[in-house]
Amino acid sequence: MPGADSQGPRIVVTGIGAVTPVGEGRQRVWEALLAGESGIAPVESFDTGAYNVHLGGEVRGFDPARHLRTVDPARLGRASQMACAAARMALADAGLEGLEGEDGADPGRRGVAMGTTSGEPREVERFNDSYVAERLGDVDPRFIALYPCHTIAASVAAEVGFAGANAMLPTACAAGNYAVAHACDLLRSGRADVMLAGGADSFSRITYTGFARLGAIAPERCQPFDLERKGMIPGEGAAVLVLEPLEAARRRGAVIYAEVAGYGLSCDAHHMTGAHPEGDGARRAMEQALAESGLEAGDVDYVSAHGTGTPTNDRLETIAFHRVFGDQARRVPVSSIKSMLGHTMGAASAIEAAVCSLAVSEGRIPPTINFEQPDPDCDLDVVANEARELPVRVAMNNAYAFGGNNASVIFRGVEA
Amino acid sequence: MSRPDSTGGRGRRPVVVTGAGVVSPLADSPAELFAALCRGEGALGPVEGFSVAELSSDGGSEGNGSGPIPDLAAELRGFDPKAYLGKKNFRPLDRTGRLATVAADLALADSGWDAEARRQREVGLVLGTMFGSVHTISAFDRRALTAGPNYAKPMDFANSVINAAAGQTAIWHDLRGVNTTLSGGTTAGLQALGYAADLVAGGRAGAVLAGGADELCLESFLGFGRAGWLAGTGYGTGNGTGNGGGAAEPRPVPLDARRNGFVPGEGAGLLMLETAEGAEARGARVLARVLGYGSTFDPSRGADDASAVSAVARAAALALEEAGLDAADVDCLSLSASGSRDGDSREARGLAVVFGDRLAELPAMAIKAHLGESLGASGAYQALAALGVFAEGRLPGVRGLEATDDGLTVPSLDSAERPVAARTCLATALDFDGGAVALVLAAPATAEVASGGA
Repeated sequence: MPGADSQGPRIVVTGIGAVTPVGEGRQRVWEALLAGESGIAPVESFDTGAYNVHLGGEVRGFDPARHLRTVDPARLGRASQMACAAARMALADAGLEGLEGEDGADPGRRGVAMGTTSGEPREVERFNDSYVAERLGDVDPRFIALYPCHTIAASVAAEVGFAGANAMLPTACAAGNYAVAHACDLLRSGRADVMLAGGADSFSRITYTGFARLGAIAPERCQPFDLERKGMIPGEGAAVLVLEPLEAARRRGAVIYAEVAGYGLSCDAHHMTGAHPEGDGARRAMEQALAESGLEAGDVDYVSAHGTGTPTNDRLETIAFHRVFGDQARRVPVSSIKSMLGHTMGAASAIEAAVCSLAVSEGRIPPTINFEQPDPDCDLDVVANEARELPVRVAMNNAYAFGGNNASVIFRGVEA
Repeated sequence: MSRPDSTGGRGRRPVVVTGAGVVSPLADSPAELFAALCRGEGALGPVEGFSVAELSSDGGSEGNGSGPIPDLAAELRGFDPKAYLGKKNFRPLDRTGRLATVAADLALADSGWDAEARRQREVGLVLGTMFGSVHTISAFDRRALTAGPNYAKPMDFANSVINAAAGQTAIWHDLRGVNTTLSGGTTAGLQALGYAADLVAGGRAGAVLAGGADELCLESFLGFGRAGWLAGTGYGTGNGTGNGGGAAEPRPVPLDARRNGFVPGEGAGLLMLETAEGAEARGARVLARVLGYGSTFDPSRGADDASAVSAVARAAALALEEAGLDAADVDCLSLSASGSRDGDSREARGLAVVFGDRLAELPAMAIKAHLGESLGASGAYQALAALGVFAEGRLPGVRGLEATDDGLTVPSLDSAERPVAARTCLATALDFDGGAVALVLAAPATAEVASGGA
C-alpha cells in the first residue's frame, strides 16, 4: 500500500506442504497440476441424492496418522488434520523437521497463521444431527473443543511445538492469502523468526448445500473463463508454507522458492456474496500489492486467478484485471487451478500461493483445464489445458471472498 | 511511575484511540458501561433467548445424559438495531452482524468519522470473534436436514461464513479498507486490537475499527455446558477449565477461592485506532494510546500447567517490551479471569512471573465478573474498561469477590470500586485452546488531551 513504510527484512518461502484432491506433498501436487489432472469426482462423504449436482473435489485416502507425530488425529477435526499434515510436510520440505527445541531455537519465536472459510463444519453437522433427532444429550462433550475454527491454527502449533504468535484468520475464500500476508507482517516486524502460514477447509454438506442453493455449482466440470462455464465445484484441502527472512534462509542454506514481495487487502463494502460490479475492491487489492512490492503491472509474468468458474466471478474478475493491467491485460498468462481441484475454500489461496512460489522457482505455469471456448467477457491470456514453460519473475496470487474480502499477494524470484 | 510520553518501540508510528462504541448487556456506551462496572452491577441472569431447561432435558443415548446446566448467562436483552440505525432492512444481518454493525455505528460517531469522511478516506475493520455465528450456520444446516437441501435459506448461507459480521458491517458503513476477521477464542478481541494497531503503526492503514463481537446462542451455551466449563457444570471432560467436581451452585467469580467456571456473555465493542498524526490533523479527541502487543501460544493446549503459565508471561513481557515499558511502569491490569479454575490461576501466575512480588500491589479489574465471558467481545470490553480508568481515575471492583485463593499470588483486588491514578494498563487474555495475548494501553499524552476537540 502506498505509504507502508515498515518494510523490515525480505521474507521468503522455504517450505511447502499440501493435502489436495490430486494428492499430497509439494512434488506430487505440483506434478499433478502441471499435468492437468483433475481431482473432481462424485461426492462420497455424504449422500447427494437430494441435490441436483453431485461432484466435488474431495481428498481421498488421506491418513493423518502417516503425518502427525505429536497430536492424536482422533482429537482433531478434519480440517485440522489436513492442516497439521500439510504443516509437517512443509517443515520437512524446508529442512526444519525435528527442530522443535533440538536446534536450540526458541519455539516462542515461531508462529502459525492459518485461514479458513468454515473451520470444522463437520463438528457442527454432528451437533445438528443430534439436534434434529431431539437427542441433544448425545452432543459430544468435545464439541466445543473441536468446532471453533481457531482450533486449526492451535492444532498446527501443538503438532509442531510452535509457541509464538498464533493467528486464525477466517476470511473465507481469501483466507490463505490473509494468513500469508499476516505471517509476513509478523516476520517483518520482528515478532517471529519462522512462520507457518496457510489455509485449510474440509468438505462439508453445509458448504455444498449453500453453494447449491446459490445455483453456483457446475453440474459436470469446472471451466474457469470458458464461454460455457457453469459454475464452481466445492473442494477441500490444506496448504502450509514455511516463511522466514531471506538472510536466515541463506545462512542455513535453505532452498528458496520465492520471495513474498508484498500484499494488498481491501473490502468491497458492497455485497456479501457477490463481487463489486466494477471490480473496485479487487482492483485496489492488486494495486496495493503492486505498490508495496515496488512493481508495475507490466512486471507481472503470471497471475493465479481466483477463477472459480462461476459466470459472474470470472467476468467481474476480468473487469478488475483490465483496470489494473490496462493494455497489458491480454498479455499476462492467467490460470485457475480450481479447474482441477475445485474450490478448496480457505485452503484455495494457500494452495495457489504454493503454486505461485513454484511457478517462480521453476518457470512453469499450471493450466486451466476444461478450457474450450474463449469468452469475449474474459479476454485474458488463459493458460489453456496444457502447462506453459516460461521464465516467471513475478507471480500475483488473487483471492476474493464472501464478505467482500479481497487479497492479492505477489511472489517474485530471488537472485542466487 | 509510568513513562507518559512513550509511543511504543521499533520506530512504529504512534497509534491512538479516538473513539469507541459498545453494545453490552450492561450498557450501550463506554461511559455508561464503565459507570455500571464501577457501581458493581452484574448482567448475569436467566436466559430469555432459548430454554436452558429444554437443552438439559433433551434425550440422548444411555450414559450420555447431560447433567443440568445452570440457567445463567450475561445476556443482552431487548437489543433492537432500529434504536440505533433507524427503520432499515435488517433481515440480511444475523444477531452477530447486528451487534457488530451497531457497535461500529457508535464508534464511528464517537470518533467523528462521518459518512463524508468515510467516502473520502478508507476506514478498515478488524473484528475478533470466536464463532461468527454458530447459530446461523446451524439454522441453515438444520433447515436443510428437516426440509431438504432445496429449502435451506441462501441468506443464512451468506452469514454462515465466520467473516460475515465484518462483511455486513463494512457494507452498512462503507468501510472499504482492510477487513479482517480474527478468531482466537477468548483472545480474539485483544488480538484484533493488536493486529489493527500493527496495521496503523506500520503505515498500512490510517484508521481502523478494531474489537470484537460474539452472540449468546444455544449451540455455544450447550457446548460449553457439555464440556463442563460453565460455572456449576463441572461434570464434563473439558480442558481442565471446569471444576471437575460435579454439578454445583454456580460461582463465576474471577479469582475467588470458590470459583467454579464462567458464565457466557455476549455483545460487541469496537475502538477507532488511528495514527496520532492523523488524529491530530483532524482535531480528534484522543482517549488512549496503544503502546504494545504480544501474542503467544501454549503448545500443550493447557495440558502442561507450566507451559500454559509461560504463555501468559511471555505475552505480557512481549507487550511491555514493545511498549518500551518496564513492569514497574504498569499502573493497573485488565484481567481475562472469568471464574475458570485453571484459567484464572494460570493468568495470575503468568503475571507473577512478569511483576514478581509487586503483583500483589498492582490494582486489577476482572470485568467478566459483571459481563461474563463474552468471547470475541471480551477483549474489547477489557480495553474499554482501561479507557474508563484513564478518564475517571477509579477502578471497578470485582463483583462478588469474597476471598482469593490461598497460596496464589494475585493482583490487588477489591470487591468494590476504588480511586486509582493510572496512566498505563496491561490487558491480558487467555484462551481455552492455548492462545495468550497481552495489550498495553496508556492514557493520552498531556499534549494530546489539550489539543483534543469534542
